[in-house]
Amino acid sequence: MNLSKRWVIGAWLAFVLACIAVISRTEFTADLSAFLPRSPTPAQEVLVEQLRSGAVSRLVLIGIEGGTAEARAETSKRLAAALRRVEDFALIANGEDAVSGQDRDFLWRNRYLLSPAVTSERFSAQALRESLEANLHLLGSPAGMFVRRVLPGDPSGELMGLVERLRGESRPAMQHGVWFSQDGRRALLAAQTRAAGGDIDAQARALALIRGAFAEAAGGNAMNLLLAGPGVFSVYSRERIKNDAWRFALIAIALVAGLLLVLYRSPRVLGLGLLPVASGALAGVAAVSLGFGAVHGITLGFGVTLLGEGVDYAIYLFTQSTPGTAPQRTLERIWPTLRLGVLTSICGFSAMLLSGFTGLAQLGLFSIAGLIVAVIVTRAVLPVLLPPGFAMPAVDALAPGVMALVRRAPLLRLPLLAAVALAAAYLAVRGGPLWSDDLARLSPVPLSDQRLDQELRRDAGAPDVRYVVVAAAKDEQSALEASENIAGALERSMHQGWLAGYESPGTYLPSFRMQRARQAALPAADTLRENLQQALKGLPFRSNLFEPFLKDAAAAKEMPLLDRGSLRGTHLGLKVDSLLVERENGWAAMLPLRGVTHAAGISRELDGNPTTQAVLLDVKRESNALYQSYRREALHYSLLGAGAIVVLLFVSLRSPWRVFDVLAPLAAAVIAVTAVLAVSGHELSIFHLVGLLLVVAVGSNYSLFFDRQMPSVQDRERTIVSLLFASMSTMIGFGVLSFSEVPVLNALGSTVGMGAFMALVFAAILSRREERR
Amino acid sequence: MMSGNSFAAHRSIAALLAAAVGLCAFVVAAGNVRAESWGVEQLMRNLGQVKAAKGKFVERKHLAILEAPLELSGTLVYTAPGRLEKHTLRPKPESLILDQDTLTIDSKTEGQRRTLVLQEYPVIWAFVESIRSTLAGDLQTLNRFYEVKLEGNEGRWRLLLKPSAPKMQSVVKEIRIGGSKDWISTIEILETEGDRSVMTVTRDTS
Repeated sequence: MNLSKRWVIGAWLAFVLACIAVISRTEFTADLSAFLPRSPTPAQEVLVEQLRSGAVSRLVLIGIEGGTAEARAETSKRLAAALRRVEDFALIANGEDAVSGQDRDFLWRNRYLLSPAVTSERFSAQALRESLEANLHLLGSPAGMFVRRVLPGDPSGELMGLVERLRGESRPAMQHGVWFSQDGRRALLAAQTRAAGGDIDAQARALALIRGAFAEAAGGNAMNLLLAGPGVFSVYSRERIKNDAWRFALIAIALVAGLLLVLYRSPRVLGLGLLPVASGALAGVAAVSLGFGAVHGITLGFGVTLLGEGVDYAIYLFTQSTPGTAPQRTLERIWPTLRLGVLTSICGFSAMLLSGFTGLAQLGLFSIAGLIVAVIVTRAVLPVLLPPGFAMPAVDALAPGVMALVRRAPLLRLPLLAAVALAAAYLAVRGGPLWSDDLARLSPVPLSDQRLDQELRRDAGAPDVRYVVVAAAKDEQSALEASENIAGALERSMHQGWLAGYESPGTYLPSFRMQRARQAALPAADTLRENLQQALKGLPFRSNLFEPFLKDAAAAKEMPLLDRGSLRGTHLGLKVDSLLVERENGWAAMLPLRGVTHAAGISRELDGNPTTQAVLLDVKRESNALYQSYRREALHYSLLGAGAIVVLLFVSLRSPWRVFDVLAPLAAAVIAVTAVLAVSGHELSIFHLVGLLLVVAVGSNYSLFFDRQMPSVQDRERTIVSLLFASMSTMIGFGVLSFSEVPVLNALGSTVGMGAFMALVFAAILSRREERR
Repeated sequence: MMSGNSFAAHRSIAALLAAAVGLCAFVVAAGNVRAESWGVEQLMRNLGQVKAAKGKFVERKHLAILEAPLELSGTLVYTAPGRLEKHTLRPKPESLILDQDTLTIDSKTEGQRRTLVLQEYPVIWAFVESIRSTLAGDLQTLNRFYEVKLEGNEGRWRLLLKPSAPKMQSVVKEIRIGGSKDWISTIEILETEGDRSVMTVTRDTS
């Protein structure tokens, strides 16, 4: 090895190490902001925040099936008790003590500040008289047992009103003291994790805790544990994708490696073949990390896929090497075409750099950096490491047969053109959307699990996570005031029957303004005593019974106002934390709705409220819309990229005919793949789009090599055989993925597997270069 | 012979003793037979055979917070096995209707009607079950909520029910249901904090 070669290897190793150093400090994220445009609307921002870390994202719904109802109830109680001891959960609810001791304490101490019933009329002599008479009546009923305990301190029944309100929020059916589904088949629990729903590791830990606690709680009973919720789904999806990706990747690698080993007959060369793409992947991650500060999981997945082109570089070099020729010489021969192929792909991906979506911009940078490094490694490093005199005997064996086919391929030109025209016509006239914009379709969560989630939600009376009213405000207090104004509009909508209920931060933590108004509504101590005396006339209550009431009401008039700190340690505090959030610039109050039947009506009612700016967020529609614009933008920039490719080819080939020759097979392949997918009932998603991009990137190399003038017949043969090997390995590698049921793997696998093969065959058929014998 | 006689005398005393012991045993056995023929099970069987009953009630509630006891009166209607209606007429008309596992409170003066699913209110459930299960002769349910003791005889009996769930214990100390044959005539509720209510029921022949 001479000096310059040592330098090359040294520089390459140093580069790889530098990339690894950058990557080791890189933050990998999986959050949804990749789906968020750079200048999102406030509603979009809130939506993404909610999906990522909001209370809604932290909900785990638990169902227990099997055994007797008693056994299910007992298991529910034991499970809840075990989980309440664990730090990972902020809240475990199963219907026991709908209002916990601490919460009841808080409500009792602050009843006059919290109760919406507190108005000045509430404590007039006449109103008090009515309350007392009603209470006397209650004492004779079954509720009497509870009433008589709180009566001396609360004759107007504020606590009862508050408790009823809290209980009324979600009322699953009850059996044996715990929540059950309506049909009684399942006991239900709801857990709220402390960690955000987007923190998949923490969610996985929480699920493991639940499973462990359930196994213990169920004892020997044969019972099933059902789990649903956003966090559960993230964990399941990750597991499924991981499992499938691993399994299918291993199969694909084994198959491709087996094929290449047969062709190369050298494990060392096989290993060398991976160097360009591995170096490219490292460079891609490092580049994105340096450029964006963090690397998104989607970028990583798609980016490595797009680097699939890099695998082919080594195949071109190895297959086209001839015995007795230095690898350097071979490279020099194929370099112009390889370079143009790389430039074409870079052109295609560069448009994405301009995208307003971080995910797409990252993907563009990843692919460009990765391909540049892969081709440089192929150019500079591989020839140095390739065993001297390497050649593939398989090439000579296969060449005659392959060439015979290639020579006859043009016979199919007319049938192919007809087929492509037919496919294009089908795509143009077919009814229904070609692209799917329903995010649920992309979810790797099986439909049965999605249905279970809906069932458990309905049973538990949990918010359906679909409608949330969001009000932005400059500070905490204005946000609370806004929530109080909105509550008015929502109450009116409830009267119309447009929704079943809502939650508001103002219920648990009224604004200072509201608290002051309630304090002002309480009569002065002397007046209240007089009113009470008058009200008590002729009633059989023991004298001085209501001293606690007089004392508490007087104290409430002067007591310090409630703030967030007052709620510490209560479940109500947790609710407020999830409904009232500080954001980058200001605050937001969130009011999740239940049982919405007429969203437009509610929206109108909210708009009629001029003092407060509130938006009714339809989470499902908004997230689909966000994804739709993401997918549209990806399509848009892909087309721009295609335009750039055309310009590049014109500049380098300088002949409209040759540009046409290079592009025609690609266009035909894209049209044919799309039509096959559409005919077989696929709705196309972003995954298919990325697959088509790779078809163009890989296929452009095929058609460029086909198009190229070769110095000798042998070179031509070697080139064409190398294309066959490259497309076979791509087809096998991706074809295997199409057997996965995870949408992303299936879509990429079927698109690229089919597309790579078609691109090569079409290039052979449409080639107008006369094959010499 | 003396010795023989005395031996004979001893024998006869022993025989007498044996007879006495035997008799005692018989008496005890007879007593057992009687206790078996009338006890909780028999009482429950007798009560369970009543398919419908109607009575007038007067209920006095002695509450610490009131200067005078609260007096309510009205009618009780029982239909086997699970329906019990308590129609209070005075001082204010109100109906409590217990049917299977729901309790409906119908307050006519306020025009309010509320339905509670008993399973959601364990204390109220335990409470209404003390009366309904007794009426229905459902010892199994009664045993689930209470430690059951019986005093007296068929003509004048008293069931003492002590709640077994801690939650119920914090509210009710004991429920005493008194009656004669298959008729319940008094229901006395002693609450943990000293309040007490006594209900007397008389046959409604109207």
